[in-house]
Amino acid sequence: MARFTFFGGKGGVGKTTVSAAYALRCADAGHETLVVSTDPAHSTSDVFDQPFGDEPEPVAGHERLAAMEIDPEAEVEAHLMDIRREMEAQVSQVVVNEIDKQIEMAHETPGAHEAALFDRLIRVMREEAEGYDRVVFDTAPTGNTLRLLSLPDFLGDWVDRLIEKRAKSLDLYQKAAIGKEEPRKTAENDPIIRRLRERKEKFEFAGRTLRENAGFYLVLNPDELSVAETRRAVERLGEHGLGVSGLVINKVTPEPDEDERGRGADYLRERVERERERIAEAEETIPVPVVARIASRTGEVKGDILDDVAAELDIDVGD
Amino acid sequence: MTVVTIHEQFARFREQAAEVMHGLYHGMIEHPAFEQIEDEAMDQEDAFFFACFADAFGIPSPVSYYTAELLPYLAEDFEAWERRMWDRDSVLDWKGHFHF
Repeated sequence: MARFTFFGGKGGVGKTTVSAAYALRCADAGHETLVVSTDPAHSTSDVFDQPFGDEPEPVAGHERLAAMEIDPEAEVEAHLMDIRREMEAQVSQVVVNEIDKQIEMAHETPGAHEAALFDRLIRVMREEAEGYDRVVFDTAPTGNTLRLLSLPDFLGDWVDRLIEKRAKSLDLYQKAAIGKEEPRKTAENDPIIRRLRERKEKFEFAGRTLRENAGFYLVLNPDELSVAETRRAVERLGEHGLGVSGLVINKVTPEPDEDERGRGADYLRERVERERERIAEAEETIPVPVVARIASRTGEVKGDILDDVAAELDIDVGD
Repeated sequence: MTVVTIHEQFARFREQAAEVMHGLYHGMIEHPAFEQIEDEAMDQEDAFFFACFADAFGIPSPVSYYTAELLPYLAEDFEAWERRMWDRDSVLDWKGHFHF
């Protein structure tokens, strides 16, 4: 079975770069690797200079490496269409019109994107992951990622309660049916209970996989906000029983040489000093080891530069 | 000319009496009892619907995306529930027993 690795972090810290570099290392170490982008900005295509879609595609110029990009918007839309189709098969047009409002609303809630993304993620772990040794996720920003990961626990309980309520009301309907009269509703073959059970099973699978077969790394930059955010993320992941394996500090300013003089050099020295303090703070206050420090690059990270970054990213890829 | 024996007359009377008694029993005891159970079933169902579709009343729910999947199977009940919840005083709201 594939091993899953997640790179989380605030938007803009360089998750895509780091996950692409890590995937590259895995592939170079001889593992069949799939890198999955869930970032709506879709920068994986930029990193490899190649468009990717909803299906895994080999990355040109790299052996054993494939990539795919999940579009949460498209997932939400597809889910909506599925329900509408089912709706038309089940009920009359008059009722469809009434209910459509509710269905549409459910797909416009702030949580719809995360829910759709999470569904797709589960599918990747179940289906696309087949045939790969390593699957690397470039996850969405911290807050959303955490919400996403807390869903299995939360939804599991909730589904249990719903099933209980539903079963109880169906049982009561059965008792209320007089004599030979048909009860209005019965528990056997209830499509609602069946659906809820399927949901629960899916979330349990996700929770199990995330706890037992996945590693989490957080990417941060050496600045105050990023360090504070990462500390919170580590705590919150811990609350959900998910341990963070390491921190990757990205965009570390390179130090100027001793003999360099001038405003630019002074600026850099001061900056480097500050970043050192932040990195020290991260090391002291966050109970997770810093596994890599990656120097800031002036240009886009792609091609040879990506290979350099991969070399700097000293994270164990396993055997 | 048909002869109705006293036995037959008694039998007919007993039949009619049984029917009246059953009607009384059904109306005074059986039906209200079953109705109460059905009320309880509906209350349970209301709670279920509320847990699933709280956002229909403006309460944001992190699960409404998933519960929307249930709507094709719940459509008619959902519609009735929504109406009931929005307008508790309406004659439509009430669980459908009318003993005029």
